[in-house]
Amino acid sequence: MIADIISAALIAIGAILVLLSAIGLLKLPDIYMRMSATTKSATLGVGSILLGTAIVFWDIGIMSRGLIIISFLFLTAPVAAHMIGRAAYINKVPLWENSIVDELNKNVEDNEHVKQ
Amino acid sequence: MKTLLANIVLGFTWMLLNSDLSYQNFLEGFFVGYLILWVAKGTFSSNRYFTKIPKLIGFVFFFLYELILANFKVAYDIITPTNLMRPGVVAIPLDAKTDLEITLLANLITLTPGTLSMDVSPDKKVIYVHSMYIENVEEFRKEIKTGLERKLLEVMR
Amino acid sequence: MITDMVITYFAMPVLAISFALIFIRIARGPGLEDRVVGLDVLTSVGIAFFAVYSVFTKNSTFLDVGIILGLVSFLGTVAFSYYLERRGR
Repeated sequence: MIADIISAALIAIGAILVLLSAIGLLKLPDIYMRMSATTKSATLGVGSILLGTAIVFWDIGIMSRGLIIISFLFLTAPVAAHMIGRAAYINKVPLWENSIVDELNKNVEDNEHVKQ
Repeated sequence: MKTLLANIVLGFTWMLLNSDLSYQNFLEGFFVGYLILWVAKGTFSSNRYFTKIPKLIGFVFFFLYELILANFKVAYDIITPTNLMRPGVVAIPLDAKTDLEITLLANLITLTPGTLSMDVSPDKKVIYVHSMYIENVEEFRKEIKTGLERKLLEVMR
Repeated sequence: MITDMVITYFAMPVLAISFALIFIRIARGPGLEDRVVGLDVLTSVGIAFFAVYSVFTKNSTFLDVGIILGLVSFLGTVAFSYYLERRGR
């Protein structure tokens, strides 16, 4: 009974987080903000849903499977985001016009490879 | 490292003595073995193992707290229509020296929503972080250095 | 019991709406980078949907599909960003 309520709450919270990240993906103004805000909330939301699923089944094999997916997502999501961000900067995708500083561009003589 | 192996062997011994080869029983045995090794601290097991594990657990909880807090901040920003964000790219000088430390730091920075590590300078001295909330550049730099980086280095060294 | 109700009436519709919103971003995205980000998030939501569906049908085999989807989507994203980086040079 208590496990039922906990898993229902985890799945609901995860679904809300995923929805928020989808709205953010549509609404935020430039690619760097979209990525830094959304991929991580989506990862946390998916992790929460998987935790809820593992609690529903309550079986050691299935729980370890869920934990493997969670740890794999948390390991790979930042690497993927970092690579897309770097590729976007190298491809000269502009920052939002209201951005206040860009120290990567200022030190461009040290960073020949990302000259903008 | 040797202490960790001894701990695992103690866990298996506990499992065999109980004649119950399950996952929970191994965790129980691991915990009991940890306590035994803690009692025998200094003679057989290294001291480093016992200062490091509590710090590691503390760091995991600190990081989860940061992650959830930052997620709520971003969620609030996404719902409200006003665009009060002040994004920018900040250069942060690194104290982390080895490749492993830099990789872990970059991944942890990226996992907290709102910040994104974009590039490391070729001489591995500076990391460039994109953030959505920069009130003050110096303030933000200090926050990352004293918060995430110092705690990570405490665990790693 | 409660979990089944939450999944049928809340989690599945919400995840479907997120799918639709992400598809709008993929269709509209000004550059190739935005589309790659959209694809990355889309596969994450796909894993969540498989997990929810495995509870819905009481069949844990769908979680294996989630593992494979996670592996493949990571490789796909890395390959795409590598290509983008090469193109920019």
